[in-house]
Amino acid sequence: MAPHSPGTDQIATLLWIGLIAAALVVVAVNVGLLASLRRRRGGGDAARDGRAEGGRRAQTRFGAALAAFALVLFVVGVVFTEKARQTPDTGSAGLASAREEPLRINATGQQWLWRYDYPNGAFSFYKLVVPVDTAVELTLRSTDVVHTWNVPDLSGMREAVPGKTNRVVFKADEEGTYEGRAATLSGQGYASMGTAVEVVSPQEYENYVKQLKADIEDAQQRVVSLIEDGETP
Amino acid sequence: MSQRPHPELVVDGYPSRRPRWVELATSADHKDLGRILVTGSLGFLVLAALQLLLMRLQLAIPENSFLSPVTFNRLLSSYGTTAVFLFALPLAFGFLYYVAPLQIGARGTALPRVGQTGVALWVAGAAVLYATFLFTPSEAGINPLAPLTEAAYTADNGVNAWITGTGLATLGLVLLAIDLATTVRNLRAPGMAWRRLPVFSWVAAVASWLMLFIGPVLLAALTMLMLDRNYDAFFFTDGGGGAPLLWQHLSWIFFAGAYMLVVIFAFGAIAEVFSTFAGRPLPSRAVTMASLAAIAVIGTLAWMQNMLTSPIGIGWMYFAMLMSLALVVPVGLVFYNLIGTVSGGVGPSRAPLLYAAGAVFALSVGLAAELSHSLVGAAWNLKGTTDSTAATHFALGGGALLGGLAALHYWFPKMTGRTMGEAMARISFWAILVGLVVTFAPLFVTGAGEGQVIDAYKYYAGEGMSGWNLVSTIGSLLLLLGIVLALLNAIFSRTGGPRAGHDPWGGETLEWLALSPPDPHNFDVLPDVRSARPLRDIRAAVAKREGRAEPAGESRPVG
Repeated sequence: MAPHSPGTDQIATLLWIGLIAAALVVVAVNVGLLASLRRRRGGGDAARDGRAEGGRRAQTRFGAALAAFALVLFVVGVVFTEKARQTPDTGSAGLASAREEPLRINATGQQWLWRYDYPNGAFSFYKLVVPVDTAVELTLRSTDVVHTWNVPDLSGMREAVPGKTNRVVFKADEEGTYEGRAATLSGQGYASMGTAVEVVSPQEYENYVKQLKADIEDAQQRVVSLIEDGETP
Repeated sequence: MSQRPHPELVVDGYPSRRPRWVELATSADHKDLGRILVTGSLGFLVLAALQLLLMRLQLAIPENSFLSPVTFNRLLSSYGTTAVFLFALPLAFGFLYYVAPLQIGARGTALPRVGQTGVALWVAGAAVLYATFLFTPSEAGINPLAPLTEAAYTADNGVNAWITGTGLATLGLVLLAIDLATTVRNLRAPGMAWRRLPVFSWVAAVASWLMLFIGPVLLAALTMLMLDRNYDAFFFTDGGGGAPLLWQHLSWIFFAGAYMLVVIFAFGAIAEVFSTFAGRPLPSRAVTMASLAAIAVIGTLAWMQNMLTSPIGIGWMYFAMLMSLALVVPVGLVFYNLIGTVSGGVGPSRAPLLYAAGAVFALSVGLAAELSHSLVGAAWNLKGTTDSTAATHFALGGGALLGGLAALHYWFPKMTGRTMGEAMARISFWAILVGLVVTFAPLFVTGAGEGQVIDAYKYYAGEGMSGWNLVSTIGSLLLLLGIVLALLNAIFSRTGGPRAGHDPWGGETLEWLALSPPDPHNFDVLPDVRSARPLRDIRAAVAKREGRAEPAGESRPVG
């Protein structure tokens, strides 16, 4: 994962914190274990008597240390998670119309594709085009089973559950294409269910959705005229 | 226990009235039932490892076409169900059911027919699940999330059979839990207060109570799903008032609890092995026992840890994180006490000790990885990746596989009268440990590093996953090999292993007072318990009676 959005920067930091905490635990447990197993047990009953770590005070102290460790992790987790889920502000290079409110796009999962509905009524499948440096809010829905929208460079993953909506926010800091794979088993086509987010300049974005809408209306018009002529489209 | 005196029947050996298999199939004795569960679940362990190997072969190279997507999804579903319902849980209950009544000095279980029915139901569930290979196994995944399991998306009989099979197996485990909880509650030997209970028997009580809470939750969810699929109900459908998220809540309550059940089972077995081989009790039994109970409660309350990417409120996510992180305290205290037990050094290193130490290692890696998953923001990146596969497999592989085999090597002499071959036990241990690490450590890298998603039958070249996946496949071959060697060792040692005597390890709990294998009624005389180490007291009393100052190494059966 290479973070390209303010939210994923925070997630990347949390991943490092998690990794360090996990490594600490693994090292502490296993160094203690190995050191003990290399020692041979002394003879007689003396070795059997309780040692320092058996004392109530030692247990309480160790438990309190663990609680402090957990509490610190909890606070750190809440702080970074809150930062990660904040809606970012559209930057100066971003789409002018998204200064006040984020650019809202509907993303609908279906077996085994994502459909994107843009504010002007245009829609596309598989590929999502968004302007750079612009706050984007995706509203996730599903028409059939549970799908997970997952483009790790731009955002954390989120499930689209039928009957519910879920929310993804990001602000891409660089033009380019970011790919992602669905992350919840959804049937036979699951492994090929992916999506690509193409980040372009605001001008290119405006042109793209305008062209997309024109193309769609054009195609619909052609179908309507075919039907009126009595042909099967 | 009845306080009235009753006649003691002492017979030297019982003539078998019927063929052994008839005796076994109709027996309500906890030792026979425990052996059926242990043997059966170890058999399913081989099947699970084989299914894992097949899936790993498909994933050895990018865009492989060895298995079709449908076959892969079927293997995946079967693997997950086998690992949880036919291996990990019944293995844990098998050992608890065999050992706990002996440890508390009972002559049997309190409700033997309930336990017998439980085992029969479990066998029936296993038969239904594996019979689906004759028609259409489920292809809906390990925890098949609604509404993929609704008839609209999986129309064939696979999911119906899965519901029936897991339902029967779960109901069986619930009945066993009823019997076991009652036994530990009511049939403890005179003087065995709760505070003198062996740790493994305490785990039997906690695990049984846990199963009494989580089992019915899954059974309810399965019933709702069955109604949805076959009788036009709409519990988990979208529309008509149904809620697909409801399935996630109910099923994750069960799976989170089952996870904790396996972990505390392993901790209990490790505690027994460590304190026997170190010749010392746990530094603090009270802290350890309280911690084990706390793990069961808090860990189950953290069920929403599995739903951090679902559309639930952020407050619930923080609640799940709080519960997960709260687990640090009891889990850490258990590790502290386990290591404190052996910190004074250990006796000769034998197979049970080796397996128990391996289990501590694997559990520490798996639970530490779960620690990083509990940070909500981190979970948004890790949850749907192979990183979570690796974490679960280290924790449950450590718990059920290494912990279960530690229990097997430790209590095998009690169950059969013979010790498992030591050389082969060592070879199989290293094969399993190295196999586990080589199979699942690369999945941490592909998951957290490269974002490989879970449960997918293929991945693409050029994404940095290929080499790691190949290594993982080689590891799974080694893992299967190690498991097969360990079980072959058990099979051959059953009749050909060195004779063990009633107490090969110098244990301090009551199961080592009984013969190996124990008589059907376990004990001729009910021992009088005056401490948490009753066998040590008995040895000291015998030594005193014979005029020796120190307890001798080898004591004789008393009574």
